Amino acid sequence: MDLGHPVGENYANPNTCFFHVLFKAAALAFYILSALFIDNFVIIFVMTVLLAALDFWVVKNLSGRILVGLRWWNEINDLGESVWKFESLDQQSLARMNKKDSWLFWWTLYLTAVAWTMLAIFSLIRLQADYLLVVGVCLTLCIANIVGFTECQKNAKKRIQQFVSRTIASRVSSTLQSAFSVV
Amino acid sequence: MSHSDTIPLHPSSQSDIDEIENLINASVHQSVPSARPPSPPRASIPVSVSVSTAPSPFISSNLPPPPPLPKSSVSAVTPSPPPPRPGIATSGFGPAPNTLTEPVWDTVKRDLSRIVSNLKLVVFPNPYREDPGKALRDWDLWGPFFFIVFLGLTLSWSASVKKSEVFAVAFALLAAGAVILTLNVLLLGGHIIFFQSLSLLGYCLFPLDVGALICMLKDNVIVKVVVVCVTLAWSSWAAYPFMSSAVSPRRKALALYPVFLMYVSVGFLIIAID
Repeated sequence: MDLGHPVGENYANPNTCFFHVLFKAAALAFYILSALFIDNFVIIFVMTVLLAALDFWVVKNLSGRILVGLRWWNEINDLGESVWKFESLDQQSLARMNKKDSWLFWWTLYLTAVAWTMLAIFSLIRLQADYLLVVGVCLTLCIANIVGFTECQKNAKKRIQQFVSRTIASRVSSTLQSAFSVV
Repeated sequence: MSHSDTIPLHPSSQSDIDEIENLINASVHQSVPSARPPSPPRASIPVSVSVSTAPSPFISSNLPPPPPLPKSSVSAVTPSPPPPRPGIATSGFGPAPNTLTEPVWDTVKRDLSRIVSNLKLVVFPNPYREDPGKALRDWDLWGPFFFIVFLGLTLSWSASVKKSEVFAVAFALLAAGAVILTLNVLLLGGHIIFFQSLSLLGYCLFPLDVGALICMLKDNVIVKVVVVCVTLAWSSWAAYPFMSSAVSPRRKALALYPVFLMYVSVGFLIIAID
Protein backbone atom coordinates (compact mmCIF):
# COMPACT_ATOMS: atom_id res chain seq x y z
CA MET A 1 0.00 0.00 0.00
CA ASP A 2 1.31 3.42 -0.97
CA LEU A 3 0.88 5.71 2.04
CA GLY A 4 2.01 8.73 0.05
CA HIS A 5 -1.23 8.88 -1.92
CA PRO A 6 -4.14 8.03 0.40
CA VAL A 7 -6.56 10.19 -1.58
CA GLY A 8 -5.90 8.29 -4.79
CA GLU A 9 -7.32 5.02 -3.50
CA ASN A 10 -10.88 4.38 -4.60
CA TYR A 11 -13.46 1.65 -4.16
CA ALA A 12 -12.35 -1.53 -5.86
CA ASN A 13 -15.91 -2.75 -6.49
CA PRO A 14 -18.25 0.26 -6.78
CA ASN A 15 -21.09 -1.80 -8.24
CA THR A 16 -21.06 -4.28 -5.38
CA CYS A 17 -20.81 -1.45 -2.83
CA PHE A 18 -23.81 0.18 -4.46
CA PHE A 19 -26.00 -2.91 -4.28
CA HIS A 20 -24.74 -3.63 -0.77
CA VAL A 21 -26.15 -0.30 0.39
CA LEU A 22 -29.12 -0.09 -2.00
CA PHE A 23 -31.31 -2.81 -0.52
CA LYS A 24 -30.60 -1.74 3.05
CA ALA A 25 -31.53 1.85 2.29
CA ALA A 26 -34.57 0.75 0.27
CA ALA A 27 -35.93 -1.40 3.10
CA LEU A 28 -35.41 1.29 5.74
CA ALA A 29 -36.73 4.08 3.53
CA PHE A 30 -39.78 2.13 2.46
CA TYR A 31 -40.65 1.23 6.05
CA ILE A 32 -40.21 4.77 7.37
CA LEU A 33 -41.87 6.60 4.49
CA SER A 34 -44.75 4.18 4.01
CA ALA A 35 -45.66 4.45 7.69
CA LEU A 36 -46.29 8.13 6.95
CA PHE A 37 -48.07 7.87 3.59
CA ILE A 38 -49.52 4.38 3.09
CA ASP A 39 -52.15 3.03 5.46
CA ASN A 40 -52.17 -0.57 4.18
CA PHE A 41 -50.21 -2.78 6.58
CA VAL A 42 -50.01 -5.73 4.19
CA ILE A 43 -48.20 -3.72 1.52
CA ILE A 44 -45.81 -2.26 4.09
CA PHE A 45 -45.07 -5.70 5.49
CA VAL A 46 -44.56 -7.49 2.20
CA MET A 47 -42.40 -4.82 0.57
CA THR A 48 -40.21 -4.20 3.62
CA VAL A 49 -39.67 -7.86 4.40
CA LEU A 50 -38.97 -8.71 0.76
CA LEU A 51 -36.39 -5.92 0.54
CA ALA A 52 -34.79 -7.06 3.80
CA ALA A 53 -34.66 -10.67 2.57
CA LEU A 54 -33.16 -9.54 -0.73
CA ASP A 55 -30.56 -7.52 1.19
CA PHE A 56 -29.77 -10.56 3.34
CA TRP A 57 -29.19 -12.70 0.26
CA VAL A 58 -27.04 -10.09 -1.50
CA VAL A 59 -24.84 -9.52 1.56
CA LYS A 60 -24.49 -13.21 2.36
CA ASN A 61 -23.80 -14.47 -1.15
CA LEU A 62 -22.36 -11.58 -3.13
CA SER A 63 -21.06 -8.51 -1.33
CA GLY A 64 -19.59 -10.49 1.56
CA ARG A 65 -17.29 -12.48 -0.67
CA ILE A 66 -16.51 -9.66 -3.10
CA LEU A 67 -15.86 -6.85 -0.60
CA VAL A 68 -14.18 -8.69 2.28
CA GLY A 69 -13.47 -12.16 0.88
CA LEU A 70 -15.64 -14.03 3.39
CA ARG A 71 -18.58 -16.40 3.01
CA TRP A 72 -20.55 -18.57 5.42
CA TRP A 73 -23.27 -21.17 5.15
CA ASN A 74 -24.74 -24.17 6.93
CA GLU A 75 -24.99 -27.71 5.69
CA ILE A 76 -25.67 -31.15 7.09
CA ASN A 77 -23.02 -33.84 6.86
CA ASP A 78 -23.39 -37.58 6.38
CA LEU A 79 -23.83 -38.19 10.10
CA GLY A 80 -26.88 -35.93 10.19
CA GLU A 81 -25.18 -33.13 12.11
CA SER A 82 -25.45 -29.43 11.41
CA VAL A 83 -22.11 -28.00 10.30
CA TRP A 84 -21.40 -24.30 9.94
CA LYS A 85 -18.88 -23.58 7.20
CA PHE A 86 -16.80 -20.42 7.08
CA GLU A 87 -14.90 -19.76 3.90
CA SER A 88 -12.23 -17.14 3.32
CA LEU A 89 -9.49 -16.29 0.89
CA ASP A 90 -5.88 -16.95 1.83
CA GLN A 91 -3.83 -14.30 3.57
CA GLN A 92 -2.25 -12.84 0.44
CA SER A 93 -5.62 -12.33 -1.20
CA LEU A 94 -7.04 -10.94 2.04
CA ALA A 95 -4.13 -8.48 2.24
CA ARG A 96 -4.99 -7.24 -1.23
CA MET A 97 -8.58 -6.42 -0.26
CA ASN A 98 -9.57 -2.79 -0.59
CA LYS A 99 -9.78 -1.07 2.79
CA LYS A 100 -12.57 1.27 1.78
CA ASP A 101 -14.68 -1.69 0.65
CA SER A 102 -14.08 -3.43 3.96
CA TRP A 103 -14.85 -0.27 5.92
CA LEU A 104 -18.11 0.29 4.03
CA PHE A 105 -19.09 -3.36 4.48
CA TRP A 106 -18.73 -3.52 8.25
CA TRP A 107 -20.05 -0.06 9.05
CA THR A 108 -23.21 -0.41 6.97
CA LEU A 109 -23.80 -3.83 8.52
CA TYR A 110 -23.70 -2.43 12.06
CA LEU A 111 -25.53 0.81 11.29
CA THR A 112 -28.43 -1.06 9.71
CA ALA A 113 -28.84 -3.22 12.80
CA VAL A 114 -28.77 -0.12 15.00
CA ALA A 115 -31.41 1.55 12.82
CA TRP A 116 -33.76 -1.44 12.99
CA THR A 117 -33.23 -1.65 16.76
CA MET A 118 -34.29 1.97 17.17
CA LEU A 119 -37.34 1.39 14.97
CA ALA A 120 -38.19 -1.63 17.12
CA ILE A 121 -38.01 0.53 20.24
CA PHE A 122 -40.35 3.07 18.62
CA SER A 123 -42.86 0.34 17.71
CA LEU A 124 -42.64 -0.99 21.25
CA ILE A 125 -43.27 2.44 22.75
CA ARG A 126 -46.32 2.99 20.57
CA LEU A 127 -47.57 -0.56 21.34
CA GLN A 128 -47.89 -1.56 17.68
CA ALA A 129 -47.54 -5.34 17.64
CA ASP A 130 -47.98 -5.71 13.90
CA TYR A 131 -45.21 -3.27 13.02
CA LEU A 132 -43.04 -4.92 15.65
CA LEU A 133 -43.46 -8.10 13.59
CA VAL A 134 -41.99 -6.33 10.54
CA VAL A 135 -39.06 -4.91 12.46
CA GLY A 136 -38.48 -8.25 14.19
CA VAL A 137 -38.08 -10.06 10.89
CA CYS A 138 -35.72 -7.40 9.49
CA LEU A 139 -33.68 -7.30 12.70
CA THR A 140 -33.34 -11.10 12.71
CA LEU A 141 -31.93 -11.05 9.19
CA CYS A 142 -29.45 -8.27 10.06
CA ILE A 143 -28.20 -9.98 13.21
CA ALA A 144 -27.84 -13.29 11.38
CA ASN A 145 -25.52 -11.68 8.86
CA ILE A 146 -23.50 -9.91 11.56
CA VAL A 147 -23.02 -13.12 13.55
CA GLY A 148 -22.17 -15.10 10.43
CA PHE A 149 -19.53 -12.72 9.14
CA THR A 150 -18.03 -12.14 12.58
CA GLU A 151 -17.53 -15.88 13.01
CA CYS A 152 -16.20 -16.02 9.46
CA GLN A 153 -13.58 -13.38 10.22
CA LYS A 154 -12.51 -15.11 13.42
CA ASN A 155 -11.97 -18.31 11.48
CA ALA A 156 -9.93 -16.46 8.87
CA LYS A 157 -7.62 -14.99 11.52
CA LYS A 158 -7.28 -18.33 13.27
CA ARG A 159 -6.33 -20.00 10.01
CA ILE A 160 -3.71 -17.34 9.26
CA GLN A 161 -2.17 -17.77 12.71
CA GLN A 162 -2.02 -21.52 12.21
CA PHE A 163 -0.35 -20.97 8.85
CA VAL A 164 2.22 -18.63 10.41
CA SER A 165 2.95 -21.08 13.24
CA ARG A 166 3.37 -23.91 10.79
CA THR A 167 5.74 -21.81 8.70
CA ILE A 168 7.89 -20.95 11.72
CA ALA A 169 8.04 -24.58 12.84
CA SER A 170 9.03 -25.81 9.39
CA ARG A 171 11.73 -23.16 9.04
CA VAL A 172 13.22 -23.91 12.46
CA SER A 173 13.33 -27.63 11.78
CA SER A 174 14.87 -27.17 8.34
CA THR A 175 17.45 -24.76 9.77
CA LEU A 176 18.43 -27.20 12.50
CA GLN A 177 18.68 -30.05 10.02
CA SER A 178 20.87 -28.04 7.66
CA ALA A 179 23.09 -26.99 10.59
CA PHE A 180 23.51 -30.59 11.73
CA SER A 181 24.26 -31.73 8.20
CA VAL A 182 26.98 -29.11 7.91
CA VAL A 183 28.55 -30.32 11.17
CA MET B 1 17.82 -10.42 6.33
CA SER B 2 16.82 -11.68 2.94
CA HIS B 3 13.20 -12.38 3.82
CA SER B 4 12.55 -8.86 5.01
CA ASP B 5 14.01 -7.54 1.77
CA THR B 6 11.84 -9.69 -0.44
CA ILE B 7 8.61 -8.79 1.39
CA PRO B 8 8.37 -5.05 2.08
CA LEU B 9 5.80 -4.42 4.81
CA HIS B 10 4.22 -1.28 6.20
CA PRO B 11 3.05 -2.20 9.70
CA SER B 12 0.02 -0.35 11.00
CA SER B 13 -2.50 -1.04 13.70
CA GLN B 14 -5.50 0.51 11.98
CA SER B 15 -7.18 -2.38 10.25
CA ASP B 16 -7.32 -6.15 10.11
CA ILE B 17 -5.21 -6.32 6.97
CA ASP B 18 -2.47 -4.48 8.82
CA GLU B 19 -2.77 -7.00 11.63
CA ILE B 20 -2.24 -9.73 9.08
CA GLU B 21 0.82 -7.89 7.81
CA ASN B 22 2.07 -7.62 11.39
CA LEU B 23 1.73 -11.37 11.72
CA ILE B 24 3.78 -11.83 8.56
CA ASN B 25 6.35 -9.33 9.84
CA ALA B 26 6.59 -11.09 13.20
CA SER B 27 7.12 -14.44 11.53
CA VAL B 28 9.94 -13.02 9.42
CA HIS B 29 11.72 -11.52 12.44
CA GLN B 30 11.39 -14.64 14.55
CA SER B 31 13.09 -16.91 12.06
CA VAL B 32 16.62 -18.04 12.94
CA PRO B 33 19.33 -16.63 10.64
CA SER B 34 21.24 -19.29 8.76
CA ALA B 35 23.91 -19.49 6.09
CA ARG B 36 21.51 -21.00 3.56
CA PRO B 37 17.93 -19.83 4.23
CA PRO B 38 15.32 -22.12 2.68
CA SER B 39 12.70 -20.71 0.35
CA PRO B 40 9.45 -19.98 2.23
CA PRO B 41 6.56 -22.31 1.41
CA ARG B 42 3.76 -20.62 -0.50
CA ALA B 43 0.12 -21.59 -0.45
CA SER B 44 -0.86 -22.77 -3.90
CA ILE B 45 -4.62 -22.79 -3.32
CA PRO B 46 -6.04 -19.30 -2.73
CA VAL B 47 -9.27 -20.55 -1.10
CA SER B 48 -9.48 -22.31 2.26
CA VAL B 49 -12.47 -23.69 4.14
CA SER B 50 -12.70 -24.39 7.84
CA VAL B 51 -15.38 -26.61 9.35
CA SER B 52 -16.61 -25.98 12.86
CA THR B 53 -19.38 -28.06 14.38
CA ALA B 54 -21.24 -25.43 16.34
CA PRO B 55 -22.39 -26.58 19.79
CA SER B 56 -25.86 -25.09 19.91
CA PRO B 57 -28.85 -25.74 22.18
CA PHE B 58 -30.94 -26.65 19.15
CA ILE B 59 -29.12 -29.93 18.52
CA SER B 60 -29.67 -32.77 20.97
CA SER B 61 -28.21 -36.20 20.33
CA ASN B 62 -27.95 -39.31 22.45
CA LEU B 63 -24.65 -40.28 20.87
CA PRO B 64 -21.59 -38.10 21.55
CA PRO B 65 -20.42 -36.42 18.32
CA PRO B 66 -17.18 -37.87 16.95
CA PRO B 67 -14.10 -35.64 17.40
CA PRO B 68 -13.36 -33.66 14.22
CA LEU B 69 -10.31 -34.99 12.44
CA PRO B 70 -7.81 -32.46 11.06
CA LYS B 71 -8.20 -32.45 7.30
CA SER B 72 -4.73 -31.13 6.53
CA SER B 73 -1.73 -32.38 8.49
CA VAL B 74 1.77 -31.20 7.66
CA SER B 75 4.69 -32.87 9.42
CA ALA B 76 7.00 -30.32 11.01
CA VAL B 77 9.93 -32.77 11.00
CA THR B 78 10.08 -32.90 7.22
CA PRO B 79 13.23 -31.07 6.05
CA SER B 80 11.53 -29.70 2.94
CA PRO B 81 7.80 -29.50 3.73
CA PRO B 82 5.32 -29.37 0.85
CA PRO B 83 3.28 -26.15 0.58
CA PRO B 84 0.57 -26.30 3.27
CA ARG B 85 -2.79 -27.07 1.71
CA PRO B 86 -5.92 -25.99 3.57
CA GLY B 87 -8.53 -28.65 4.18
CA ILE B 88 -11.06 -28.96 1.39
CA ALA B 89 -14.50 -30.33 2.15
CA THR B 90 -14.78 -33.64 0.33
CA SER B 91 -18.51 -33.94 0.90
CA GLY B 92 -20.50 -34.04 -2.30
CA PHE B 93 -23.29 -32.00 -0.73
CA GLY B 94 -23.51 -28.27 -0.40
CA PRO B 95 -21.55 -25.61 -2.25
CA ALA B 96 -18.12 -26.36 -3.64
CA PRO B 97 -15.09 -24.82 -1.87
CA ASN B 98 -14.47 -22.35 -4.71
CA THR B 99 -17.69 -20.43 -4.21
CA LEU B 100 -15.72 -17.33 -3.22
CA THR B 101 -14.71 -16.62 -6.81
CA GLU B 102 -17.70 -17.86 -8.79
CA PRO B 103 -19.75 -15.51 -10.98
CA VAL B 104 -22.97 -14.03 -9.67
CA TRP B 105 -25.24 -15.96 -12.03
CA ASP B 106 -23.91 -19.30 -10.77
CA THR B 107 -24.88 -18.32 -7.23
CA VAL B 108 -28.38 -17.33 -8.27
CA LYS B 109 -28.87 -20.48 -10.33
CA ARG B 110 -27.68 -22.74 -7.53
CA ASP B 111 -30.04 -21.20 -4.98
CA LEU B 112 -33.04 -21.38 -7.30
CA SER B 113 -32.37 -24.99 -8.25
CA ARG B 114 -31.97 -25.83 -4.57
CA ILE B 115 -35.42 -24.40 -3.78
CA VAL B 116 -37.02 -26.38 -6.61
CA SER B 117 -35.34 -29.64 -5.62
CA ASN B 118 -36.24 -29.20 -1.95
CA LEU B 119 -39.87 -28.58 -2.88
CA LYS B 120 -39.98 -31.74 -4.98
CA LEU B 121 -38.38 -33.80 -2.24
CA VAL B 122 -40.82 -32.68 0.44
CA VAL B 123 -44.27 -32.59 -1.13
CA PHE B 124 -43.90 -35.26 -3.84
CA PRO B 125 -42.92 -38.91 -3.47
CA ASN B 126 -39.15 -39.32 -3.42
CA PRO B 127 -36.69 -42.19 -2.88
CA TYR B 128 -35.48 -40.69 0.40
CA ARG B 129 -38.86 -40.97 2.09
CA GLU B 130 -37.60 -43.70 4.40
CA ASP B 131 -34.62 -41.56 5.42
CA PRO B 132 -36.00 -38.01 5.53
CA GLY B 133 -32.84 -36.52 7.03
CA LYS B 134 -31.10 -37.13 3.73
CA ALA B 135 -33.86 -35.58 1.67
CA LEU B 136 -33.50 -32.10 3.09
CA ARG B 137 -29.76 -32.07 3.67
CA ASP B 138 -29.33 -28.95 1.60
CA TRP B 139 -31.94 -26.96 3.49
CA ASP B 140 -32.92 -23.36 2.84
CA LEU B 141 -35.48 -20.96 4.25
CA TRP B 142 -36.35 -19.09 1.05
CA GLY B 143 -39.07 -21.49 0.01
CA PRO B 144 -40.76 -21.48 3.45
CA PHE B 145 -40.53 -17.69 3.56
CA PHE B 146 -42.22 -17.39 0.18
CA PHE B 147 -44.97 -19.87 1.09
CA ILE B 148 -45.76 -18.14 4.37
CA VAL B 149 -45.98 -14.72 2.73
CA PHE B 150 -48.06 -16.15 -0.13
CA LEU B 151 -50.51 -17.79 2.28
CA GLY B 152 -50.80 -14.58 4.29
CA LEU B 153 -51.42 -12.58 1.12
CA THR B 154 -54.06 -15.03 -0.10
CA LEU B 155 -55.91 -15.00 3.20
CA SER B 156 -55.78 -11.22 3.49
CA TRP B 157 -57.09 -10.85 -0.06
CA SER B 158 -59.95 -13.21 0.72
CA ALA B 159 -60.88 -11.26 3.84
CA SER B 160 -63.42 -8.48 3.36
CA VAL B 161 -62.59 -6.65 6.59
CA LYS B 162 -59.51 -6.44 8.82
CA LYS B 163 -57.02 -7.42 6.14
CA SER B 164 -54.08 -6.31 8.26
CA GLU B 165 -55.07 -8.42 11.24
CA VAL B 166 -55.64 -11.47 9.05
CA PHE B 167 -52.21 -11.15 7.46
CA ALA B 168 -50.43 -10.54 10.75
CA VAL B 169 -52.20 -13.45 12.45
CA ALA B 170 -51.45 -15.82 9.57
CA PHE B 171 -47.77 -14.86 9.42
CA ALA B 172 -47.28 -14.97 13.18
CA LEU B 173 -49.16 -18.27 13.46
CA LEU B 174 -47.04 -19.97 10.83
CA ALA B 175 -43.67 -18.49 11.80
CA ALA B 176 -44.08 -19.00 15.53
CA GLY B 177 -45.82 -22.32 14.97
CA ALA B 178 -42.86 -23.75 13.10
CA VAL B 179 -40.49 -22.65 15.86
CA ILE B 180 -42.72 -24.08 18.59
CA LEU B 181 -43.12 -27.39 16.77
CA THR B 182 -39.36 -27.73 16.39
CA LEU B 183 -38.79 -26.94 20.06
CA ASN B 184 -41.50 -29.47 20.94
CA VAL B 185 -39.59 -32.21 19.14
CA LEU B 186 -36.35 -31.15 20.81
CA LEU B 187 -37.98 -31.17 24.24
CA LEU B 188 -39.30 -34.67 23.57
CA GLY B 189 -35.68 -35.76 23.25
CA GLY B 190 -35.83 -36.08 19.50
CA HIS B 191 -32.85 -35.89 17.19
CA ILE B 192 -33.68 -33.03 14.85
CA ILE B 193 -31.81 -30.08 13.40
CA PHE B 194 -33.44 -26.73 14.07
CA PHE B 195 -33.18 -25.06 10.69
CA GLN B 196 -33.82 -28.24 8.76
CA SER B 197 -37.07 -28.68 10.65
CA LEU B 198 -38.12 -25.09 9.98
CA SER B 199 -37.37 -25.64 6.31
CA LEU B 200 -39.40 -28.83 6.16
CA LEU B 201 -42.46 -27.40 7.91
CA GLY B 202 -42.36 -24.42 5.58
CA TYR B 203 -42.20 -26.55 2.45
CA CYS B 204 -45.13 -28.62 3.71
CA LEU B 205 -47.26 -25.49 3.43
CA PHE B 206 -47.18 -25.71 -0.36
CA PRO B 207 -50.35 -27.86 -0.63
CA LEU B 208 -52.19 -25.53 1.74
CA ASP B 209 -51.07 -22.57 -0.38
CA VAL B 210 -52.62 -24.21 -3.43
CA GLY B 211 -55.77 -24.92 -1.44
CA ALA B 212 -55.98 -21.33 -0.23
CA LEU B 213 -55.62 -20.08 -3.79
CA ILE B 214 -58.45 -22.34 -4.99
CA CYS B 215 -60.67 -21.29 -2.08
CA MET B 216 -60.05 -17.63 -2.90
CA LEU B 217 -61.36 -18.17 -6.42
CA LYS B 218 -64.34 -20.34 -5.45
CA ASP B 219 -67.01 -19.11 -3.02
CA ASN B 220 -68.84 -22.39 -2.49
CA VAL B 221 -68.45 -23.65 1.08
CA ILE B 222 -68.66 -27.34 0.16
CA VAL B 223 -65.92 -26.94 -2.45
CA LYS B 224 -63.83 -25.15 0.15
CA VAL B 225 -64.22 -27.94 2.69
CA VAL B 226 -63.30 -30.62 0.16
CA VAL B 227 -60.26 -28.71 -1.12
CA VAL B 228 -59.01 -27.92 2.37
CA CYS B 229 -59.41 -31.55 3.47
CA VAL B 230 -57.44 -32.79 0.48
CA THR B 231 -54.62 -30.27 0.88
CA LEU B 232 -54.57 -30.79 4.64
CA ALA B 233 -54.13 -34.52 4.17
CA TRP B 234 -51.39 -33.85 1.64
CA SER B 235 -49.48 -31.52 3.98
CA SER B 236 -49.79 -33.99 6.84
CA TRP B 237 -48.62 -36.81 4.59
CA ALA B 238 -45.58 -34.73 3.60
CA ALA B 239 -44.65 -33.88 7.21
CA TYR B 240 -45.26 -37.37 8.64
CA PRO B 241 -42.02 -39.25 7.82
CA PHE B 242 -39.71 -36.49 8.99
CA MET B 243 -41.41 -35.87 12.32
CA SER B 244 -42.02 -39.53 13.05
CA SER B 245 -38.41 -40.54 12.48
CA ALA B 246 -37.06 -37.73 14.65
CA VAL B 247 -38.42 -39.07 17.95
CA SER B 248 -38.66 -42.50 19.54
CA PRO B 249 -41.65 -44.64 18.52
CA ARG B 250 -43.36 -44.28 21.88
CA ARG B 251 -43.44 -40.49 21.59
CA LYS B 252 -44.39 -40.35 17.94
CA ALA B 253 -47.94 -39.24 18.68
CA LEU B 254 -46.74 -36.42 20.90
CA ALA B 255 -44.57 -35.07 18.09
CA LEU B 256 -47.10 -35.51 15.30
CA TYR B 257 -50.21 -34.15 17.01
CA PRO B 258 -49.02 -30.50 17.23
CA VAL B 259 -48.01 -30.56 13.55
CA PHE B 260 -51.44 -31.80 12.59
CA LEU B 261 -53.01 -29.23 14.90
CA MET B 262 -51.15 -26.37 13.23
CA TYR B 263 -52.20 -27.48 9.77
CA VAL B 264 -55.79 -27.92 10.93
CA SER B 265 -55.84 -24.38 12.29
CA VAL B 266 -54.45 -23.10 9.00
CA GLY B 267 -57.19 -25.07 7.24
CA PHE B 268 -59.82 -23.49 9.47
CA LEU B 269 -58.40 -20.07 8.67
CA ILE B 270 -58.75 -20.82 4.97
CA ILE B 271 -62.34 -22.01 5.29
CA ALA B 272 -63.55 -19.37 7.74
CA ILE B 273 -62.23 -16.25 6.00
CA ASP B 274 -64.61 -15.02 3.34
